[in-house]
Amino acid sequence: MVARELILARLRRALNAPRADATAITAEADALLPDAREMQPKFDGQSNRERFMEKVTSERLTGTVDAAADMAAAVGCVRNYLMRSNLPLRIAMPPMDTLKTLDWGDIAVHGDIAADEAVSIGLADYAIAETGSVVFTSRPDSPTLYNYLPLHHIILVEADKILRYMEDFWAIVRADGNVHPRNINFITGTSGTADIEAKNVRGAHGPRFMHVVIIGAD
Amino acid sequence: MRQTSEHFKQNVTSALQQPNLRVALDRTTSLLQQRRRDMLASFPEYERVREVAAQIKDHTLAHLDHYLEEFEHNAIRSGAKVYWASTPKEATDIIVGICKAKEARSVTRVKSMLGEEIGIGEALAAAGIERVETDLAEHIIQLAGDPPSHIVMPAMHKTHEEVAELFRRKHSSPTESDDVGDLVESARRELRPKYMDADIGISGANFIVAETGSVVTVTNEGNAELTTTPPKVHIVNVGIEKLVPTMEHLTVFVRILARAALGMEITQYTTFHNGPKRTGDRDGPEEMHIVLVDNRRTEMFDSFLRPMLRCIRCGACMNHCPVYGAVGGHAYGFVYPGPMGSVLTPAMTSLKQAGDLPNACTLNGRCQEVCPVNIPLPDLMRKLREQQWREGLTPSTFRHGLGLWAFVAKRPWLYRLGSRISVGMMRWLAGKRGRLSVLPGAGGWTKYRDLSAPQRGGTFMDQYRRSKRR
Repeated sequence: MVARELILARLRRALNAPRADATAITAEADALLPDAREMQPKFDGQSNRERFMEKVTSERLTGTVDAAADMAAAVGCVRNYLMRSNLPLRIAMPPMDTLKTLDWGDIAVHGDIAADEAVSIGLADYAIAETGSVVFTSRPDSPTLYNYLPLHHIILVEADKILRYMEDFWAIVRADGNVHPRNINFITGTSGTADIEAKNVRGAHGPRFMHVVIIGAD
Repeated sequence: MRQTSEHFKQNVTSALQQPNLRVALDRTTSLLQQRRRDMLASFPEYERVREVAAQIKDHTLAHLDHYLEEFEHNAIRSGAKVYWASTPKEATDIIVGICKAKEARSVTRVKSMLGEEIGIGEALAAAGIERVETDLAEHIIQLAGDPPSHIVMPAMHKTHEEVAELFRRKHSSPTESDDVGDLVESARRELRPKYMDADIGISGANFIVAETGSVVTVTNEGNAELTTTPPKVHIVNVGIEKLVPTMEHLTVFVRILARAALGMEITQYTTFHNGPKRTGDRDGPEEMHIVLVDNRRTEMFDSFLRPMLRCIRCGACMNHCPVYGAVGGHAYGFVYPGPMGSVLTPAMTSLKQAGDLPNACTLNGRCQEVCPVNIPLPDLMRKLREQQWREGLTPSTFRHGLGLWAFVAKRPWLYRLGSRISVGMMRWLAGKRGRLSVLPGAGGWTKYRDLSAPQRGGTFMDQYRRSKRR
């Protein structure tokens, strides 16, 4: 604890001012944030769904998008994707009730993801239209590695969970009691690297392919 | 890492003689500059965000003691352990101590500049612990035995042909191809089992959030999550200046970091780490340890260098610096190169050792212009030069030269006489060619190019007077 006291003492000596109380500091911090609209990129002509789709399929994010009327119909989209991509009808699936109770037909689903898994599926908590991101949070039925190990990542997103901006997600977290699970993962497109001569290459460590199925109407 | 900043001039000479380095730097920096320009064109809100970001950093620094305590409290509440370290040695002792207590044999690591700064690689090697770098660029330089040459792209100095040759020598099942995509696939194959087998994962943090105790990492590769999820222990090393108050404040930085660094709206992966795995979680570490590191940041805090603590390590300043663009990162001789490094290195080592760095700057101001938190880098470098002068660290030839110049400049008649003689001499030396290929005292210039002789019509003052008379 010596270093702790030393660091804090040095900071306080340099500040050379009486300590403000926590409430005053919070108020000062909040006052620094202007209306979020002054700092958010604008896409006024687009719905959340339109912007989200445009971003996911952009050259940068390299994802593909499909739409299904409901969860049951999403199974068909998943099957089509596997067929189209010449993949075996076998996917790793987290132990999430919404997914487990679906009829997967001739697709073999399993809950034991391997280090070199070909395909996994996940149901995103939310999506962000601004950037085309999907949001996953770690929970007993939503392990983190399902989103990072596979080569193909199929992501189900409910249309009414597509938020406009990142700030909208924090507003929901706050409204739900400001609880933060072990991991909150914002995933924006496929894993990439530009470490060799700044050239963009996909599938660095995480998924090389991202297929998003939007479920329902917004 | 071993510091060679005191040999800056030799480093520069040898850097300028490497044709591959020039190729690699040209390919990369011009692409990054272009991407940043394109990004700005589609984000008119950028200037406002930049202004707010600087204000948030200044506010957080002005209450850094408060925010550090708040962060510590909330990180502990999330189940993490928090440590404080004044020096690099204290920090690496804590980290190596945890590794030893856990009897770790293999450690995976996500690149962090702070880790480089405290010498985590050397410390783990000394303890006999295998370290696997997972960021592609760090993987390349680990195999090559090179230090990093850029803070965002540490292998910027390597061409893809050099990487291909390196992987063929070092990978267990390498590719015959020189194609960048095949090289990336080769690294993926090589590293995949190492992620799963590591005992401990070490990361840095791009930000830490006081309100929640969260550690935030951003990557494009997805290596942070693969490094921090499978092992039983996650260790974070982070500088004390990385704090932001809340998630809403953090969002401002998420919006500018990738834009400034790479011209992207956001990186592929932005992850919030909050303590170890929770009851019932199927993956994630059982323990999370966070080491808060000072390493002379408190000294910078107490000096004119405080604005430097706003830095979010985006690398935009070096991508736009003509000096960096010519000599690359290694010449700077420390972890942090380019304009930000020219300020940080003297502060973290000594002005005596790193005195050449703030002088290797044309003061063109590009670094401050492109800085997403508006750090007055040229001013800071100017002030470091002043400090050098005050402390008598400037070379004596320079001091005497400047003294002589001051003597002459304060006596206009002498100055004019001197310049008239020089102009005459130069015209005589240049002869009919009108160009000088040798000039005493300016050998550094004439070694590479000729100097045009002064035009007819005498000195500047002579010409000025004549034009006024007309």
